[in-house]
Amino acid sequence: MTTDPIETLDADPLGLAPQVSRELRPCASYTLRVNGFERPVTDAWIGESLLYVLRERLGLAGAKDGCEQGECGACSVQVDGQLVAGCLVPAALAADSEINTVEGLSAGGAASDVQQALAASGAVQCGYCTPGMAMAVHDLLQRNHRPTEVEARQALCGNLCRCTGYRGVLAAVQTVADARALEAEEAERAAAAAAEEAAAEASAEAGAPVAAEPSAVETEPVIEPPVYADAEAWIEHVPQQPSAPEQDQVQVQATVEQPYGDGGYDTGVYDTSALTAMQPGIPAQVADDQVYYQPQGYPEQPYQATPAHGTYVPAGYPDGHQQQNGYDTGYDAPVYEPTPAHGTPLPGALHDGTPPHGTPYPDPHGAPADGGAPAGVPTTGVPHGATPAHGIRLPEDDHAS
Amino acid sequence: MLPASLDEAVDALAAAPAAVPVAGATDLMEAVNAGRLRPAALVGLGRITELRGWRYEDGGTAVLGAGLTHARMDRPDFAALIPALADAARTAGPPQVRNVGTLGGNIVTAAPAGDTLPVLAALEATVTLARAGASREVPVSHLLTGLDPVRPGELLTWVRVPLLHAPQVFLKATGRSGPARATASVALVLDPARRAVRCAVGAVAPVPLRPLEAEAWVAGCIDWDGSREIDPAAGAAFGEYVAAACVPDNYGAEGAWEAVTEGPTAAAVRLRRTVSVLARRALGRALK
Ligand SMILES: Cc1cc2nc3c(=O)[nH]c(=O)nc-3n(C[C@H](O)[C@H](O)[C@H](O)COP(=O)(O)OP(=O)(O)OC[C@H]3O[C@@H](n4cnc5c(N)ncnc54)[C@H](O)[C@@H]3O)c2cc1C
Ligand code: FES
Ligand code: FES
Repeated sequence: MTTDPIETLDADPLGLAPQVSRELRPCASYTLRVNGFERPVTDAWIGESLLYVLRERLGLAGAKDGCEQGECGACSVQVDGQLVAGCLVPAALAADSEINTVEGLSAGGAASDVQQALAASGAVQCGYCTPGMAMAVHDLLQRNHRPTEVEARQALCGNLCRCTGYRGVLAAVQTVADARALEAEEAERAAAAAAEEAAAEASAEAGAPVAAEPSAVETEPVIEPPVYADAEAWIEHVPQQPSAPEQDQVQVQATVEQPYGDGGYDTGVYDTSALTAMQPGIPAQVADDQVYYQPQGYPEQPYQATPAHGTYVPAGYPDGHQQQNGYDTGYDAPVYEPTPAHGTPLPGALHDGTPPHGTPYPDPHGAPADGGAPAGVPTTGVPHGATPAHGIRLPEDDHAS
Repeated sequence: MLPASLDEAVDALAAAPAAVPVAGATDLMEAVNAGRLRPAALVGLGRITELRGWRYEDGGTAVLGAGLTHARMDRPDFAALIPALADAARTAGPPQVRNVGTLGGNIVTAAPAGDTLPVLAALEATVTLARAGASREVPVSHLLTGLDPVRPGELLTWVRVPLLHAPQVFLKATGRSGPARATASVALVLDPARRAVRCAVGAVAPVPLRPLEAEAWVAGCIDWDGSREIDPAAGAAFGEYVAAACVPDNYGAEGAWEAVTEGPTAAAVRLRRTVSVLARRALGRALK
């Protein structure tokens, strides 16, 4: 083609966009199916990644752009049911595919079980990796209902997290797997019970027509809208009510607490000295006996100081500790018993106590821990017979050393 | 554009020679995102189902589709056929990349650290290159060395690999325990019918290297009719032999002036140690 590029310049009266000819910037229009919805995309450069189109053209900013090189996994989405890096998918070629993003996990605004478990197990700090991590965990648990830790690690090895150290994520995988297994078991049991009941009913009906009540006992499970775990943590704090309202205290409460409303995010103590500097109407921190922080509201003995390890606490603390600024620490029963020395058998325990170091085991345990490997072969942490991960030494490596 | 058959795809490429074929796009989009490539048009190969599987041919050959993904090659049924290729596919990047990255893309990209390449070199695979109305067969080594490169408008369609029914090993050294590209890799296959050991070393040079002398020597040390055991000392010597053959003394040297210093560079010593351990272990695992 011999079209002069100048003639085909994009119309741009202000001249702000870089002047690129259509020939150098071929575009396409297509429709993406994202989380079940048809989303048209018009006149997009064919080199745009799915990640870019989702974020910048369709307003779905759940998938994150960490590296654009496929290394970090923050952009993980599912295309036709497969976990892929959104930054490495040409969006124009995903036109007739089924795309699922992290927004699709939280149907109706409620976090999915995986997202809740991630939040609850401390797998979220800055949160940048979290959408990709949630997609990867969902993908793993779709394919494998009971992943071992090794399988979970392998499945998540493409999702980098610079904050949490992955332990929380692995814990979340186990939590969700356990919860889902329990749910499935219960559903199965309910189904079996229902079938039994139906069979009994049928036979009863066949014998003598009894007033057949619709069995309202096994019902649909009560679906509670899930709550983010961090929301729970905040709400449990009861708003402080000054027991003896003095004028200026009331004023402080009025000035400071209002923005959050009743039962909102009450952090308990306010540093009034800082507030006074900013707002002259607020009194400075007053004497100790007039503290805003009124501990009377707390329930009895909410807090017990932890004694040092091995300490035997006979009966209560010395008098001086009994009444301290509102906390009643009256102990009257021993709380801890000192830990016995190694090798001491515990009286009621199942175990015989750990033998001292160096004690040979009385008899070698029959089956090795991983079950499959024949005795005598050192376990390598992989199922027997499968090729182990690289870097694991096998016994036969040493044949040739 | 997403052609649904091979014929449609080669016709589309013939009609638009500047169009870029796209398989899993893991290498392609990396280049596009980094601004190294501005494609004029894309021809997606993902819908060509015939290229996503494999078939068998007379004479003990498997014909692998270029669209086989790394994730597919890692599955047990494939691993039973060509274990070394399955091992290579298992380590080729994180799951998100292996789910879509393909054998064909890995060969055409021909990156030094491409994990399937030493395996294909050791298996002496050949590839089929198709264009509208014609196709030709090229040994994979000719393709990789540039002796007979992919021409514009050609598609890599099939990879012919012999089925050897003998142990094969692929081992890879990386800089970290997670998915990473190889700093060195070794593929080693036994060919009992021809009483041969074939070995290729990847990632130490722009193309996989075959230490032919070391292969011939070690094949002579193996008791092929008996237990196929080898003296540990011979295994260790094989490792050294392979490393010396594949890593030159001036490896990692910046300029010619460094190349004339006496003895191997520190980088060469380090890399040789890695390669020799990989080769020794690969032999040990193949002969266990
Ligand atoms: C994070 C990350 C980690 C990676 N780690 C590894 C690794 O450890 N080991 C490794 O080997 N690779 C690795 N890769 C590279 C990549 O995944 C592989 O090379 C993959 O096999 C490429 O296949 P593809 O289908 O994605 O190729 P594409 O990106 O689709 O194509 C690559 C090139 O080949 C051409 N092409 C593709 N198919 C054909 C065909 N049938 N005929 C003609 N031309 C074709 C394309 O035009 C393009 O130029 C990694 C990539 C990423 C992003
Ligand atoms: S942004 Fe896609 S993997 Fe990092
Ligand atoms: S929470 Fe910050 S990167 Fe994972």
